[in-house]
Amino acid sequence: MKDRSARLTYVLIAIVGALTVAPVAMLAFGSFTAGLDAFGQFTLAKYVAAYTDPALLKVLGNTVIFVVGSTVLATVLALVLAYLNTRTDIPGKFLFGVLAIVPMMIPHVLFSVAWALLANPSNGLINRMLMDAFALDSAPFDIYSLPGMILVEGLLNMPIAYLIIAPAMASFDVALEESSRVFGAGTWRTLLRITLPVLRPAILAAFVLGIVRSLASYAVPRVLGMPGRVEVLATYLFEMISVGFSPDYGKAAALGMSALATSIVLIWVYRTLTSEGSRFVTISSRGWRPTVVPLGRLRGPLFVLVALLSFVVIVLPVAVLAYTSFVPYSMVPSAQAFAQMSWRHWTEVFADATSLLALRNSLFLAVVGATLGVMLSLFVAYVIVKLRTRSAALLESLTYLSFSFPGIVIGVGFMWFFVHTPLYATLTALLIGYIATYLPYGVRPLASAFVQVHAHLEESSLVCGASRLTTMRRIIVPLLIPGIVSAWILMATMFLRELTLSVVLSRPGSEVLAVQILGFADDGLWGKLSALGIVMIAISTALVLLAGLVGKWFATGARPRPEANA
Amino acid sequence: MEIRVEGLTKHYVAEGRTVKALDRVDLTIPANRIFTLLGPSGCGKTTLLRCIVGLETPDDGEIRIGDEVVWSRARGIAVPTEKRGLGMVFQTYAIWPHMSVFDNVAYPLQVRGVERATIGKKVAAALHFVQLEGVEQRSATRLSGGQQQRVALARALVAEPKVILFDEPLSNLDAKLREETRKELKRFLGELNITAVYVTHDRVEALALSDSIAVMRAGSIVEIGSPQKIYFHADHRFVADFIGRANLIPVTVRGSSGEFTVVDSALGSFACAPRDLAPGSAATLCLRPEFLHLHEGSVAGDRNVVTGRIESLAFVGEVYEAEIRAADLLLLARTGPDTRLREGDTVSFTVAPEHCLLVSA
Repeated sequence: MKDRSARLTYVLIAIVGALTVAPVAMLAFGSFTAGLDAFGQFTLAKYVAAYTDPALLKVLGNTVIFVVGSTVLATVLALVLAYLNTRTDIPGKFLFGVLAIVPMMIPHVLFSVAWALLANPSNGLINRMLMDAFALDSAPFDIYSLPGMILVEGLLNMPIAYLIIAPAMASFDVALEESSRVFGAGTWRTLLRITLPVLRPAILAAFVLGIVRSLASYAVPRVLGMPGRVEVLATYLFEMISVGFSPDYGKAAALGMSALATSIVLIWVYRTLTSEGSRFVTISSRGWRPTVVPLGRLRGPLFVLVALLSFVVIVLPVAVLAYTSFVPYSMVPSAQAFAQMSWRHWTEVFADATSLLALRNSLFLAVVGATLGVMLSLFVAYVIVKLRTRSAALLESLTYLSFSFPGIVIGVGFMWFFVHTPLYATLTALLIGYIATYLPYGVRPLASAFVQVHAHLEESSLVCGASRLTTMRRIIVPLLIPGIVSAWILMATMFLRELTLSVVLSRPGSEVLAVQILGFADDGLWGKLSALGIVMIAISTALVLLAGLVGKWFATGARPRPEANA
Repeated sequence: MEIRVEGLTKHYVAEGRTVKALDRVDLTIPANRIFTLLGPSGCGKTTLLRCIVGLETPDDGEIRIGDEVVWSRARGIAVPTEKRGLGMVFQTYAIWPHMSVFDNVAYPLQVRGVERATIGKKVAAALHFVQLEGVEQRSATRLSGGQQQRVALARALVAEPKVILFDEPLSNLDAKLREETRKELKRFLGELNITAVYVTHDRVEALALSDSIAVMRAGSIVEIGSPQKIYFHADHRFVADFIGRANLIPVTVRGSSGEFTVVDSALGSFACAPRDLAPGSAATLCLRPEFLHLHEGSVAGDRNVVTGRIESLAFVGEVYEAEIRAADLLLLARTGPDTRLREGDTVSFTVAPEHCLLVSA
């Protein structure tokens, strides 16, 4: 029994290690070589070239402003929203759930394109409408700028920050604030001296994760930064390796090493913070409803602001894409525009061989990738949570290593690896890269599902006379199904929209949806782009809704009802 | 400082039903005494405390602390919590996890703008008072439960409030520590000479700590009195039953005989502690298990004697607890650990008239 557990752990360490450590190692090796074909000869030339390039300073400056700006925006927005939802009497609380979930259905590249269509300086719809309405000479907004990029990236990262901060705020022991008020501090002083400091680990965790994500972000810099020549690290790296310039994988690897190291350190900080958070969070022993802060006269205006934010984050991007997919060319909504609407872009996209291939490839990667990914995650989560062998901690670290992978950088690492194998330029290469990079998204929900299967549930089944196999079939698997389903859907939606890794690894024949959308954007084919984008959003939405339905079905059907446990 | 509550009313809507948490409560809490609100969970005791401190807003009524009206619907007065100048110990202690012990205790002084040197002196004095010294710079949540409790108490005392409120402060401690802390708390409060309002559902805690106890049920105060009055001379059946273990026997009043009130029951007749009840009216006889004196076999007598059979005998440590079946009633009695009685034995008990308490039916 013990031997078999140990052997399973070692096999998994080998597999996960190959998936997550191999690209890092290849990146490191690659950074010390002259190029993809000159593997093995040690040189520091690429480091010298990468770090002495005079263009780098400007890129780093932009990167810092972009990353910090968007993360501050995302964290502050999330903090305000979480406070409004969990602690005040603001109406329309369903909106907060929508704000936290729905952006997951809109791929980042489409969100960025939608904002380009709305606020680009030459013919952005908002700009044109404002210019017409107020007879302005120039466009009031320029989304192709650092502030524009910060706004869009901040809105994209806000839900993640919200999902970290809101639960911490909801499980906050309100007595900590009440006692502050009893001892003479008013609402504001209590907020500044008690509430925010107690929530500090959650706020910092959200901030650090935001930094890692926006550092890795490629969609926003590519779609909104390139037209205005605002280069950040991700786009700068991609330019080095993109075919057509004169790809220099060695230089990209050398520069990518710092980005990867930064991310790994930040994710380590994030994981320390989240485990420290459990020390800080004190759960009240009594079921007091948290005291609701009455907003008074601000109630209406704040609700309008939240509704406006929901509109801007959810409705507006989808609406502008849908609208663009029907009009022949970019035009302000008008009777004339509606009269010219047609299905032309849609029929063109569905007649376009590359688009259809991309759709097929993405669906294949989503379904097959998520299935394989969940199977691997199931074993990994089992070892981490249940077996707890001595080397399980190593397996856990290896698994969560890919949390810190900036897609472009790790794509370069994979490139060094695949170029020496027959997998180069195949769908299988993408499949392996996807699973390696998104493994934590499968392991996380499954690990928490395993945690919920208390050892006593298994043991009592064994005591009742059931064999290990029967216990697995009758007790463990039914309890795990909700976790399996949510892990599968999460991975499938991630794979369906994957951009950063694909943009490095995909080659003619292995195109995927997000890369095809970038192609349309480069060619200015906004109508076709929008039609394909709507298809992509529809598939994502269907998957998320399916997850909700399946989750609900298991919550009410197969699992004991909550009132039966009370 | 005296606290006066008049006509205080508070409703909740829970799962579509309206719950009366407080139903026109009138109450005067005397100055510089330890006053306990006692009752089963959901009786409104915590709601009353939270209304006094201002964390809960009543629907109607008036609250006065000393000479100041802090809340009044009729007069439209609502002094916010932070301006009421009170001290409080919370059930969860509400120790701020991001602050040291010193900062936790200093907080009430800091927000009042007290100067630094004075804060240092007062915090040291408060920590000395609760016998918690040498841990000032430790993270407060790393202390043991009992030590956290002292931090909470020091914090409540440090600004020398007019009134200090306790919301079930001992319920998170284990049994042994709870007893020790209770004794200490009694000593601390005795030295301070301060008005203390204490909420608990634990009758032993209430009896041991209080100068006065108010027993609450369903949003109303049923009875107020000293611990002895509540335990030995309760007027209400609910109070007699709640405050201690009791055998409750339905009786009919026959009349007065000398200094006793005589009643009839299925167990025979009893001479009871005098009570002004009309002959023929129904009442309840409350017999505490510790006052039943057991005798082997049957004992002759026409009053205050019951004969029955021991149905069960349980050893619970200091004593045996016997369940005695007599005339369809099951009565609880206690007897010393050296008893020779066995289950199934015929047994009699006598009970002195002054320990026969008549309460409402």
